[in-house]
Amino acid sequence: MSSESARANATAEARFRIDDANWRQRVVKVMALDRRSEPVVRRLAQGQFGGATFFTASAFAPAAPSHADMQFSMASWLSDLAGRTKDLLDELQTADLVAMVATAGENVQQVASVVGEACKAKHVTTIAFVLGSASAPREALSSTLRQLRPWTLMLVIAASEEAIAEALAALRA
Amino acid sequence: MLRREQNDLLTQTGPNTPGGRLFRRYWLPALLAEELPNSECAPVRVKLLSERLLAFRDTHDRYGLIDEFCAHRGVSLWFGRNEEGGLRCPYHGWKYDYTGQCVEVPSEPEESGFCSKIKLKSYPLLERGGVLWTYMGPPDKRPPLPEWEFATVPREQSFTSKRLQECNWLQAMEGGIDSSHVSFLHRGELSSDPLFKGAKGNQYNLHDTKPVFEVAESPGGLYVGARRNTEDGNYYWRITQWVMPSFTMIPPRGNHPVHGHFWIPIDDENCWAWSFDYHAMRPLTVSEVAAMRDGKGIHVRYVPGTFRPMANKDNDYLIDREAQKAGRTYSGVAGIAMQDASLQESMGPIVDRTKENLVSTDNGIIMARHRLLRAIKDLLDKDATPPGVDAQHQRVRSASVVLAPSQAFVDAATDALNARPGVAHSTV
Repeated sequence: MSSESARANATAEARFRIDDANWRQRVVKVMALDRRSEPVVRRLAQGQFGGATFFTASAFAPAAPSHADMQFSMASWLSDLAGRTKDLLDELQTADLVAMVATAGENVQQVASVVGEACKAKHVTTIAFVLGSASAPREALSSTLRQLRPWTLMLVIAASEEAIAEALAALRA
Repeated sequence: MLRREQNDLLTQTGPNTPGGRLFRRYWLPALLAEELPNSECAPVRVKLLSERLLAFRDTHDRYGLIDEFCAHRGVSLWFGRNEEGGLRCPYHGWKYDYTGQCVEVPSEPEESGFCSKIKLKSYPLLERGGVLWTYMGPPDKRPPLPEWEFATVPREQSFTSKRLQECNWLQAMEGGIDSSHVSFLHRGELSSDPLFKGAKGNQYNLHDTKPVFEVAESPGGLYVGARRNTEDGNYYWRITQWVMPSFTMIPPRGNHPVHGHFWIPIDDENCWAWSFDYHAMRPLTVSEVAAMRDGKGIHVRYVPGTFRPMANKDNDYLIDREAQKAGRTYSGVAGIAMQDASLQESMGPIVDRTKENLVSTDNGIIMARHRLLRAIKDLLDKDATPPGVDAQHQRVRSASVVLAPSQAFVDAATDALNARPGVAHSTV
């Protein structure tokens, strides 16, 4: 007589698996952290992502003034791809995941810390993708990674935009 | 999550499938050399990539890997007589050499040359590092012999085993790059297994159970780095190597031998889990080898006379609910290898990835699938040689290192991630 595992693992048993959807659409906020990442996020936004919305925080860095200089407000620096200003905290209310997109060598210190702090406060998981590592000097890549590292659970040094799109699809964005 | 057609591309490796074409561009481990211990020994059935083959070692110590079945009436040559430079079918005496060429058909006049028109499909079979390797792809694309460090160090520094795993190769392999399961499934073994315990790095593992991850493409595959905090504000990094299509190398612990796997499709519902241990600087000790033979570390005990694990689905993996309740094992199954295999087999022969719900810490798996799919596409569209074929991609090491927070592991550990003869592994 075969064991329970032997019976359960068989190909024939696979057809009795529950076929109902075991998931709901995830809400993913994809944010360009610097100007060079903005066109990447724009292209990603053309993909078939039912649960993802796309933003840019590039006005905030790298050439923008510091926190103190610009009378910092969470409500005034994030924008959607149509240029409408969005409130970061409002956006995080419904978010399951924030995906940050940065370019190796860009200074994303401030913007990453703002997004990261806000996500931490709202208990939203973060993931970060860094593009352009092949063409950036090693030190530049290290610098960008260092800026992102405190704020993300998973850092991906992506070889292409396609890799980000695949990851978003795999995460059911 | 993968779409169904993507899942099929990655999980099907039979002849003329896209995934099968990918696997057929690499040297693959086919048998342990000890399975063919001497000339004219008994032949061994081998199924790889959904092809039924037969391995034998002829009178002159040449290894052959040929179609299992006689070209005459389809008899299995496993019953054959290994004699006088070839394998003879016991049914009517047809004889084949190590290349599959028929060299004798007793019923036909020798002068007729009939046998020269009969040739079984065959593949090269060559020994390196105690493993018999085969290449099943186009002859003009055959790469040089593999350069994995475990197979090139002196034999006394290396130990290799294989075990049957009764599920598709991909779900088995994905366990090898899924670092986040270690803190749960294998937590008991860090302090009890003789091939793991005692390393300083284990303390970091046990004290910081919420690692964060960084993934980067390597020339041949991926680096998957898991980062934990140390007591002095630095980071303890464990960097796993994945080299395409199915080589994984686990970061070392202390002065223990370093280990890793190949996941080789037998067919679409079974694979060989090859497991190696080696030390770059010294012979393995008697006690280390004894532990490996006894199923410790990443190895298993076998059903006698087979490569099937002693704990298998037919005995419910010898699950011990008391041990699970008492915390001696997390899942109730003993041993690292079978802890993994039992769960991976429970997914079913080929897991349906359209139903999975990955999270951000699964990005090593996501990136590996992406690279595999890209390589298949490039192979089909442009006949591009896939990553991992180049011997340089194979001269890699995993590493465990402590780095300052400012350092990226891909930079700071560059040397540590490459095989360097005569230099010890970077390990904590």
